[in-house]
Amino acid sequence: MTTYNLYIGCSVPVNYPNYEAAMLKVAQAFDMELIYLEDVACCGSPNLRAFDHMGWMTVNARTLAIADKNGYDIVTPCNGCFASLKDVYHHLKHDDETRTKINKILKKEGLEFKGTAKPRHFVEALYNDIGIDEIKKKITKPLDGVGIAIHYGCHLLRPADVTEFKPEYLQELVEATGASVVEYPLWKQCCGATVLPVDEDLAIRLARDKLKSMKEAGAVFVTVVCPACGNQLDLQQLGLKESYGEIYNLPVLAYPQILGLALGLDEEDVGLSMNRVPANPILDHLSD
Amino acid sequence: MTETDEPTGPPVTLIDAIDMSKLDPKFREEIKSMPNGEELSACFACSTCTAACPTANMWKYKPHQLIRMILLGMREEVLSSNEIWLCLTCYECQERCPQKVRVTDIFFDCKNLAAEEGKIPVNVLALAKELLTKGQLYTVTADWEREDMGLEPEVPGLSVDAVKTILKDTRTKKLVGGEE
Repeated sequence: MTTYNLYIGCSVPVNYPNYEAAMLKVAQAFDMELIYLEDVACCGSPNLRAFDHMGWMTVNARTLAIADKNGYDIVTPCNGCFASLKDVYHHLKHDDETRTKINKILKKEGLEFKGTAKPRHFVEALYNDIGIDEIKKKITKPLDGVGIAIHYGCHLLRPADVTEFKPEYLQELVEATGASVVEYPLWKQCCGATVLPVDEDLAIRLARDKLKSMKEAGAVFVTVVCPACGNQLDLQQLGLKESYGEIYNLPVLAYPQILGLALGLDEEDVGLSMNRVPANPILDHLSD
Repeated sequence: MTETDEPTGPPVTLIDAIDMSKLDPKFREEIKSMPNGEELSACFACSTCTAACPTANMWKYKPHQLIRMILLGMREEVLSSNEIWLCLTCYECQERCPQKVRVTDIFFDCKNLAAEEGKIPVNVLALAKELLTKGQLYTVTADWEREDMGLEPEVPGLSVDAVKTILKDTRTKKLVGGEE
């Protein structure tokens, strides 16, 4: 059994309890022990970073320091949390001056950033620690090759020197379930979630561009590993019906929901009924 | 690249002359001294960043222009621009820069400088207030959904006090001021 600190953030538990529950069950299936980090703060990302760099560094350094107490790596299901923690980790590792300054603040709480507990995205831990072969061994209800488009989310992939995440990780994870990955031109493009507070129309237009590109390439389902991206691509489809009169009918599932079903979990286990665009058609693609 | 509205006139080919007396020669050093500015002056204005940006076609100042404006010392124009706040932070520009200029990260630094001068969009300021007063960006409104999934009703392990305490000593408090 491998043990991890789980940093759940605030968006997944509030907006995607189905993603959270599916992740916990998938982790259990692979003997990954996830311990919820206690007394940790919201990462504030990326808004806090924009107007209060020092506050953002301190809040996230504190989370990293709390994980350093037991030293287990941190996993998170959210790209925003991942980006904040990983970026701050990167800065603190490479900038002695800032690290000293931050550690002085953390000392008041008896904490210290040491950098032993590494922040990681949950799917990266699945890929590198469990591995595709082990995952394949446990698949009991493989998907029938149905086309799934991957939306990685910007902050999972970039900046690559900080995130250290390779697109093939998620691609192979999706293929391990028996699904096929649909390539589409705008695969790297932003879903628009980050610009929602400053320009909602633009945010919607970006989500539309993505959905269009996926649909035209023949995707039947979409998978995400971030609650903000999930919200943009799933919930905005309802809005697009009104604003553009367009119906995409592309169910958007968090990756652990798809993997969970292929592992033999049932639709309640992965909270399929909570997806905005009805996702139950995926059940028709599972073999018995 | 996202679609734009129909163009209303011929493309602008001439720009206003830059008023040299208004330039702040220290601006480039200011940015360079920030966490992501080291490679700033390596920019050779190839505009690959602009080509990579999914929304620059809607911007008055394109990413490569903003970098050039920083190098020239157009502090006021850069820090007052909407563009730095419209940046998606998708890192497409930074990732492709052949000179390794941390374009997106530099825009984060610019936003911090702008915020220090009180230049911050209303909705972003509202988020600052939310973080300072509630200690989190999202709060549970449908706890039955969590219970349906067999999860505890509150966000597990979240300390709202930690954020509030830290941000009281940083810029967030200054931005929100007495409004909390």
